[in-house]
Parts: sequence; C-alpha cells; structure tokens
Amino acid sequence: MWEPQELGAMRSHLSDFKKHRAARIDHYVVEVNKLIIRLEKLTAFDRTNTESAKIRAIEKSVVPWVNDQDVPFCPDCGNKFSIRNRRHHCRLCGSIMCKKCMELISLPLANKLTSASKDSLSTHTSPSQSPNSVHGSRRGSISSVSSVSSVLDEKDDDRIRCCTHCKDTLLKREQQIDEKEHTPDIVKLYEKLRLCMEKVDQKAPEYIKMAASLNAGETTYSLEHASDLRVEVQKVYELIDALSKKILTLDLKQDPPPHPNTLRLQRMIRYSATLFVQEKLLGLMSLPTKEQFEELKKKRKQEIERKRILERQAALESQRRLEERRSDLASRATNGEVVPPRRGPAPLRKAEGWLPLSEGQRQSEDPDPLLQQIHNITSFIRQAKAADRTDEVLMLQENLRQLQDEYDQQQTEKAIELSRRQAEEEDLQREQLQVLREREWEREQGQAASLHTRTRSLDFREIRPFQLEPGREPRTHLAHALDLGSSPAQSSTATKTSPPSLAPEPFRGWSGSPALGQEFLPQSTPSQRSEAPSLNPFDEEEDLASPSAEGTASPPAPEPSLGPPARLLREYNPFEEEEEEEAVAGNPFARPDSPAPNPFDEEDEPPPRTPASLPVPGNPFEEAPCTNPFEEDSDGGQEGAEPIEEELLLQQIDNIKAYIFDAKQCGRLDEVEVLTENLRELKRTLAKQKGGSD
Amino acid sequence: MNVVFAVKQYISKMIEDSGPGMKVLLMDKETTGIVSMVYTQSEILQKEVYLFERIDSQNREIMKHLKAICFLRPTKENVDYLIQELRRPKYSIYFIYFSNVISKSDVKSLAEADEQEVVAEVQEFYGDYIAVNPHLFSLNILGCCQGRNWDPVQLSRTTQGLTALLLSLKKCPMIRYQLSSEAAKRLAECVKQVITKEYELFEFRRTEVPPLLLILDRCDDAITPLLNQWTYQAMVHELLGINNNRIDLSRVPGISKDLREVVLSAENDEFYANNMHLNFAEIGSNIKNLMEDFQKKKPKEQQKLESIADMKAFVENYPQFKKMSGTVSKHVTVVGELSRLVSERNLLEVSEVEQELACQNDHSSALQNVKRLLQNPRVTEFDAARLVMLYALHYERHSSNSLPGLMMDLRNKGVSEKYRKLVSAVIEYGGKRVRGSDLFSPKDAVAITKQFLKGLKGVENVYTQHQPFLHETLDHLIKGKLKENLYPYLGPSTLRDRPQDIIVFIIGGATYEEALTVYNLNRTTPGVRIVLGGTTVHNTKSFLDEVLASGLHSRSKETSQVTSRSASRR
Repeated sequence: MWEPQELGAMRSHLSDFKKHRAARIDHYVVEVNKLIIRLEKLTAFDRTNTESAKIRAIEKSVVPWVNDQDVPFCPDCGNKFSIRNRRHHCRLCGSIMCKKCMELISLPLANKLTSASKDSLSTHTSPSQSPNSVHGSRRGSISSVSSVSSVLDEKDDDRIRCCTHCKDTLLKREQQIDEKEHTPDIVKLYEKLRLCMEKVDQKAPEYIKMAASLNAGETTYSLEHASDLRVEVQKVYELIDALSKKILTLDLKQDPPPHPNTLRLQRMIRYSATLFVQEKLLGLMSLPTKEQFEELKKKRKQEIERKRILERQAALESQRRLEERRSDLASRATNGEVVPPRRGPAPLRKAEGWLPLSEGQRQSEDPDPLLQQIHNITSFIRQAKAADRTDEVLMLQENLRQLQDEYDQQQTEKAIELSRRQAEEEDLQREQLQVLREREWEREQGQAASLHTRTRSLDFREIRPFQLEPGREPRTHLAHALDLGSSPAQSSTATKTSPPSLAPEPFRGWSGSPALGQEFLPQSTPSQRSEAPSLNPFDEEEDLASPSAEGTASPPAPEPSLGPPARLLREYNPFEEEEEEEAVAGNPFARPDSPAPNPFDEEDEPPPRTPASLPVPGNPFEEAPCTNPFEEDSDGGQEGAEPIEEELLLQQIDNIKAYIFDAKQCGRLDEVEVLTENLRELKRTLAKQKGGSD
Repeated sequence: MNVVFAVKQYISKMIEDSGPGMKVLLMDKETTGIVSMVYTQSEILQKEVYLFERIDSQNREIMKHLKAICFLRPTKENVDYLIQELRRPKYSIYFIYFSNVISKSDVKSLAEADEQEVVAEVQEFYGDYIAVNPHLFSLNILGCCQGRNWDPVQLSRTTQGLTALLLSLKKCPMIRYQLSSEAAKRLAECVKQVITKEYELFEFRRTEVPPLLLILDRCDDAITPLLNQWTYQAMVHELLGINNNRIDLSRVPGISKDLREVVLSAENDEFYANNMHLNFAEIGSNIKNLMEDFQKKKPKEQQKLESIADMKAFVENYPQFKKMSGTVSKHVTVVGELSRLVSERNLLEVSEVEQELACQNDHSSALQNVKRLLQNPRVTEFDAARLVMLYALHYERHSSNSLPGLMMDLRNKGVSEKYRKLVSAVIEYGGKRVRGSDLFSPKDAVAITKQFLKGLKGVENVYTQHQPFLHETLDHLIKGKLKENLYPYLGPSTLRDRPQDIIVFIIGGATYEEALTVYNLNRTTPGVRIVLGGTTVHNTKSFLDEVLASGLHSRSKETSQVTSRSASRR
C-alpha cells in the first residue's frame, strides 16, 4: 500500500549559525587569550623572592592600571572608596574594585591555565591575534601613576588579585580544560561495551551461517572452528553482561549518591545491553555434537545422492524417451529388412539395452522434460545460492552442465532423426513386400504352426489376457527387444543373467508355472517362446545339425519371421508403451529371472534345448546356436531378403556411427564401447554377406 | 504518503547524523508526543539514545559524556531555553533540529549564545504533527475556534502543522476549501501564504498531477463524531479514549498495576495493526485465537524443565512468550473492558437507534425509538444526550419536530444541565444554518436508490450503516465531481485531471471513523493516495468539549431558555 518514500524536506541553518557564532567566538577567545597571556607574564618570575615594589612594577607593565581618581565608586558593588574602603587593581585587566569584590587566583591554578593553553592556544586563538600583540585595557584608561592606597596593600606571595569578571572567564576556561582531559569511568566502560557489541554484530552472523550449514550436515565449515567461534561469541556476551552490570552499579555507593539522571542513564544502558543480548544470543543456534554431526553428514550425503539420482534419472528419462523414439524408428528400419546381422546379438542386447534405459523412468509427459529439468535446476541453484550453500550450488551446477549437454545432444539427435524419417518411409514400402513374403512362409509353416498356436494362445491368455494373438505378440516383443538392442546404453552384467532366464522360460510357460508370473516374464518369454519352442519340436534334428552348418550365416535366417513384427509394431504401439513403463522398473526385469532359471534348467529343460538356448546369451559370439531355430524356417525367405538387407545394413552402420559420435561427445564411454562392438559386428556381417552373395 | 514513516525517517536521520556515543534526546512537550508516536523506547535505545529530557526541565545534570539531540518546536520559549542551555552547556555537543521554520534572528541569538562551540548542527526537520496512523495525522488542538473564527494562536499552530506535513511529504499542493466555513478559507489563505513565503522550501519535483489540499470544517458534519463506533481503534477511542496511542485504563475495575496505562501502536503491535480496522465481533474471535495461540505457547506450570533441551526451548521462547503475554493481556483487558461498557451502557441498542437517526429518514420511528431509550435506566445521560443531539441535528427543521419534548424527557431523566445545554450548542455548531451541504437527504436519485437498496439488503451490519459525509466528499473529489461552488480553489488555477495525492484537513478535528473511510478508499482506489488530518482526532466526548470550547453555547442559552419556556407552556 505504501510506496517507497524519500526523506521529507529539510533545511540547514548551520552555515548561518556558524557565521554568527564565529563573530562572537572571536571576541570571546580574544578575551580569554589576553587574560592568559597576562597571567603567564605575571607568573613568569619568582614572586616570593621579589620585592613588592618590583612585583608591582612588573604587574603594572603587564597591564596599565586604571587611574584611581577616575573611579570613585566600586564598579561592581557601588560602594564609595575611602581610606577604609580602599581601591584594588585587577592585575589582569587593570580595573579597580573594592576588597570585597576582589578575587584571587592561586599560582597552581594560574599554572594549570597557562600550561594547558600552551597546547591549545593555537587552536583556540583566531588568526587575527597573536599572543604578543598589545591590546587596550579592558576598562579603557591608561594611567601608570601608582596610587597611594596600592602601596599600602599587603604583599601577595602566591596569589594574583583580579576582578570577578576575569576570574569568571578563567574558571570557565579551567572547566573546559578539565573536561577535555577527564574521561569519566562510565565512558570508558561504555566504549568497551560498544566494542563488544560491534564484535558480536560482526561475529554472530558468521557463526549463524556456520551453524546453519553444519546443522544441515554440510561440510563447508569445520565443527571445531564453529564451536571455537561459538565460545568466542559467548564470551563476548558474558563480557557485555559484565560490563553493563558494572555500568549499572557504577558509583552507586558513593556519597553523596549520583544524580538521578546519572542513575537513569546507567539503568538504560544496562537495559539496552540486556535487550541486545536477549535478541542476539537467543538467535544463536546450537551446534550438533560430533556424533550428531556425523549422522547429519551421512543424512545429507544420502540426501544429495538421492537428489543426484533423481535428477540424473529425470535427465536420463528424457534422454531415453528420445532414444526410444529414435530406436523405434531404427527398429522399424531394422525389422523391416536388416534383421539378420542383429539376429545373433539381439536377445542379449534386449536385456542389456533395457538396463540403463529403464533407469530413466517415465515420470512425466512433459513436452520437453530436459528443458524443464534445466529450468528446475537453475531455480534450485538460485535458491541454494540464496541459502549460501556453496557445495550444493556446485553440485547443481555440475548437474546443470550435464543437462545442458544432454539437451544439446537431444537437439542434434532430433536433426538426425528427421533425416532418418525419410529412410523410414522407404522402409515402410519394403515392409509391404515383407508381409507378402511372410504370408508365403506362413503357408509353408501352416500345419505345424497351427498346433502350437493353439497351445500358446491358451497359455498366453492365462498370463496376459489381452494377448489375443499370441503369434504376433511375442514378435512384438522381439521386435521391441531388437529396438532396444540398438540403443546405445547397455550393461554387460544383465547380459549374463537375463538370457539364461529367457531360455528356460518357455518351459515354465508350458508347464504353466505361475510362480514366476512377474509381469516381465510373460513379456520377455514370449519372444523366445514364439520362436524357439515352436520350432524346436519340429526341428530338433535340424537343430542339431544347423549350428555347425549355418553358424555365421545365421543372421539373415530369421528375417522373414520378423516381417510381421515390424508391421505389428505399429499396430501394437500401445502395448509397447505399456511395456516400456513396466520395464521402467529396470533391473528387476533381469534379476528376478536369474535365480529362476536354475531349477528349471535342471529339472525341466530337455537336453536338446540346452545347446540352442543357453549359449545364446552366455556368449555373444556364439551366435549360431541361438539363431539356429530360425534358420530352418527362414530358409525360403533368405534369398529374397538379402539385397535389401545389405542396403539396410549400411544404413544401420551409419546410424550406429552417429550414435557413437553422440556418445563420444557426451563422454558416455561405455556406450561408445558397446556401440563400437556393435558396429564391428555389423561390418563383419556385411562383409560376410557380401562375401556370401558374391 | 505515509505520515508515520515520514516522521520516523526524520527522527532516524537525526540520531544517525549524531554518530556513535551515548545520547540524550532533548525535547519539548509537543515533540515528545511526536517522537513517542513513531518510536518505542526499546527501539530508540538501540540507537544509543539512553535519556529523554525536556528542555524546560530544571533538574538536568551536567553530563559532558553525552551528546544532545535537540528536537524542538521553534517557539520563543524553546529558543530561550536553548540559549540558556548553550551558555552553560550540560552536554558535550548539540545537534539542534527544529520541527518547523525558525526565524533568522532566532538562529542568530542561538549562535551568539554558543560561545563554547558546542553546536554541531542546526536544521529544520518538519516533523511538526502527530502521526497517528500512516494516513492519519493530528495536531492535538482542542478548541481551535472561538465562535466561528480561529483562535489566532491555534491558527498559527495549525498553519505550521499543515505546512510541515506538506514539507515532510514533499508536496506543494493546490488548495480547495469549504466555502461555507470562514475558518477553512482563513486556514487555506495562511497555508498559501507560507508556501509563497518559503517558496524555496516548496520546490519539489513536479508531479504530473499536482497534489491537492482540501480544507474542511467539522461543523459540516457534526453527526459522525456523535456516533458510537464499532471498529477497534475507533471504539477504543470512543469508549476509553486514545491519547497519543496511550489508553488510560486506571478506571477499569480491578485493573492490575502494570495495565493502568497501555500503549496501542500499530507500529509495534502486530495484533493491533491487523485488527484496528476490524469490527468488534471480528476482534472478539481474533482475541480468542490469540489466546489459544498463547495458551499453546505458554509453558505449562506443571511442565517441569527436566532436560536441558526443555530449558533451552523455554529460554528460547521466553522473550517471545513474554512479549506475547504482554500483547495478550493488553488486548484481552481492553476488549474485556469494551464489552463490559457495551453491555453496561446498553450500547448495542443505543447504537442501533443512533444509526437509524443518522442514516434513515423515518421521523416517527426515530422519535419513538429515542423516546423509548430515554426511558431506559441503563442508558447513561451521556448517551441519552447524544441521541437527542442526533435527533435534533437530523430533524431540526422537520415539521413535527418534537425536540422540546425530548428535552423534557432528558430533564426528567435527570440529565445534567451541562448536557442539556450541549444539545442546543451542537445545533448551533453544526445545524442546518451552518452547513454548506446537505448532510442528510441524498440529492440524486441514484443515491436514494442506493439508500433504498441498502435498506432492502437488510444492511450488512446495523451498527455500521453510517458512512461519514467525508466519504461522499472524497468520492466526488476523486471522480472530479466535487462542486466548485461549494469547494472553491484558492487562487486562479484549478486542477484539470482527477487528483491523485489528496490531503484532507478537517478544522475542528477528524474522527477514526473518517480515518477508516480514508483507509478503505486508499485500498480500493488505485492511483489515489489520501492522507487525513485534523486539528485533533475526536471521540464524542472530545467533540462535545470542542463544541463547548468554541463558546457557541452562550448564544444557545437563549435557545434552551426558549425551549424550556415552550416546554413549560405545555
């Protein structure tokens, strides 16, 4: 309601005041100085050992005495001078007064006045006058005739006669001198008190900052240092308390007791000191003990860790979504035609790929989570700065930098993606072809497949009621797995754990064991089930033979079977989304499975299965066994697919190169490694294919 | 335009400019009041001001280790005191601030007295008024007029106060005044004169729309100060009396020693600041909350301070608790006393009839109600008299005016002659003959409909229906509709745009009800800032004193005689 308001008008009269005062002061100072100079002259000689006549002569030389005849009455009291009431001369101004009105100045006082003015003369004397200049006498007359009465005066050895006016002036002067030199106790104590208060004003905020930081578990300041400071500040408080108490009781027992105002002043100083201590001391928070501090530190560490993870996750999540989109496209491309080269590594990638990705959770559907994240962190930094938390600021800034990098990368990726979209369109056309080819294959497989489809469908219904088309669904997953395989982030541990689990799962599925009915299982198992189990019964014999025979040539083999997934992928997008969300949980995806396989492996797994499934995940280079099952089916489609494959392979290689570039730029070395490996494989496959086709 | 802040800034500046060291603040009677309105003792203690002395106090000790800050009105006596002080200085150094313009000759005589060169500063700081609320100031003058004309002393003081206010807010205004009041015109001229004379002082940065000073006269609205009030600040003033933020509770039955006098200052009492403009019912519930809050914080007596943590918590909360307990006991006492008075004096019923008298035009119903209340033994003579005054003011020229009958009733009730005389004095002071504008019947149809609608709505609150006449005046002023034939400009120039910065001054005193109106206008009208001032801030009692002091009752004696004669004739 109130806007800032400037100080109201004011007007100074100081210069005017000073001008008037200077005029008056000059006059006053001249008077005083004149008297003091004369006093000096009068005391310059040894009065006790000098004859009165000589003294008189000297006195008369200092200031001309007023002629006796000119003054018939005492100017101060008005009494008539007579033989009884004799005239006296002021030795300082030469004027006449009666004995009653006469004052005396003792030599010590005279000395005090003259010695003090020696130092201060220069400051108090206005330049217009010099100590030696001759001035007219105060009362005007200039007669040097000595009066008879004066001769009859008693001799003053140690005193100087003067009039009341001169004495007054000199006494005032004396008072000034006294005040200048004297500092009352209360002032000394008060000055100390103020010093202490200043110290508190200066130290307390420092301490409070430290204590706040320490209490938050930060390690910017050391606990010892802070407690030292605390002790120091507390000592100052005690000192303030003691000083103000002393001021309060100052001169209290003196006789006569001090003026009520003095007491009031002392009380008020004490009161304000108490207020000060109350206000400031109570604001002084306590420090944690050593143990508490350790705990606090731990807590804070966890807190920071948690924050960091959260932020990282948020960042990763947005990144992942991008990659998903990207890999989505890539997979479409891949699924369309290229699959062969990826065939082998695919299952493991699937698992690998999920891990880092799943770390980044889909938490929000922000249009641009990265930007939002950056925005958030900037505001965090601001807050942290305001709160003076340097270490947090540093941490946040680090985070911000990462995020910004990521954002930059995201932008480049977008560009890349755009270019890829064109390729994708072409792919779609190719996929159409694929579909046709697939139908052909389906006809061929018709009989065998039908049987299994039935069993499977039952099974799937049990686990996932919405999977009405078991034949397709698993493939979707597979396709998905392939997608993920292309994603740059991978972890090697998962590769080893999850694949074994994948292999036995089909059996679990068949045996209807619900124990492992984790959401992930049905999702992941179908990918195997769909192909491996369905094929096994038929192709066991071939299976046995194929590994050695097809070995390296395996990649192209499953190609036809992947035709439909590619198409389905589009249809089933909603599922894909869901799965991603579930997969978000990440590691569990692989982990819960890992313990499971063993019992099954031992109990259920038929011997022929082992070579087919187990080697696959265990050793990425043993591609043959894993692909084997497919090879048999795909025999027919293989030739047709090949020309396109090559093209796509090249494209894939390009893609991966781009990923590597990105990863390198962002410093994600592990990704680079994996990608490079991927690339190497692709290139190898390409070379082989070329060799094969040529 | 915050007058409290303006004065506070002046005081702060004085203290700051004197530098570090122990200080004494030398003031006169009036400046003591001015300072005490904006600073509390503990606040000023923290600025090393430890003693507060009156310049006229003879019992001052020589304390050469203190610096003296003199904040004085530039009166002859003060200058003389100061001259004596400087001749024999009691403090080491003097910083002299006058609250208004001081003459060159006074400066010269002061300078000549300062032989010991103890004066370090001589300035004019225009804090020459009592800042009551941020938008309300007073000059604490009771009885500013003799008859219809200014008491010359008070005119000069009022002129000084008003010009000081303008200077402290840095406003060089255009002036409008209430034509029907000779006093308003006179004051306007005096202010203008000062502005012309001290044109150098009044040279401020020009604002787009020049500020406006509107000078009104209390006699145009004698109704407002006669009504019982129901908002906290106004009510406290009406029933207990606020004097420079101080409230005398010594007459409250069974009052404890430390509550005999309490200070209600919005500056450092949060509860008061938040509640001063709320009505009594709201205060009641807020007080309850305050109490509950306090009970929570209050350390239980049984609660033993067993652990160090307990003790620490106690000590840490203690000052806050102590402060809060002070606030709580203060407000509980004040509100308790208010409600005691309300029920003892039957004020709800009285106030309802007052509001009817002030806001409605139903003569017979009003008369009936007044008569009924006059029979009620619980209605005090004071309230009875005020009801009759309100009736007399409203139905002064009504065809079936039955004031004589009411006067009879007053006499029968045993109302003292002082109050009975005051009835006619009030009419003399603020009757129809005096008023420049129509206080009661709204002129235009819109206003009538408004009034009607208000009646239909059942009225939000029967006790606060009344809107002071000032509201209408300011409303018109803000909309640029205030009639120039009733409120002419002083001088040839007029304001073309709607005014933005408005200073309203009421000769004869403002009221807290009007202050509330201004407060609400400030809140609800963007771009408009209004400051209200008065020669004093009235409650009914002080208003009646004002009427009494104006000396108008001497003439009204005849009227009352006529009244009694006519009554006896019956």
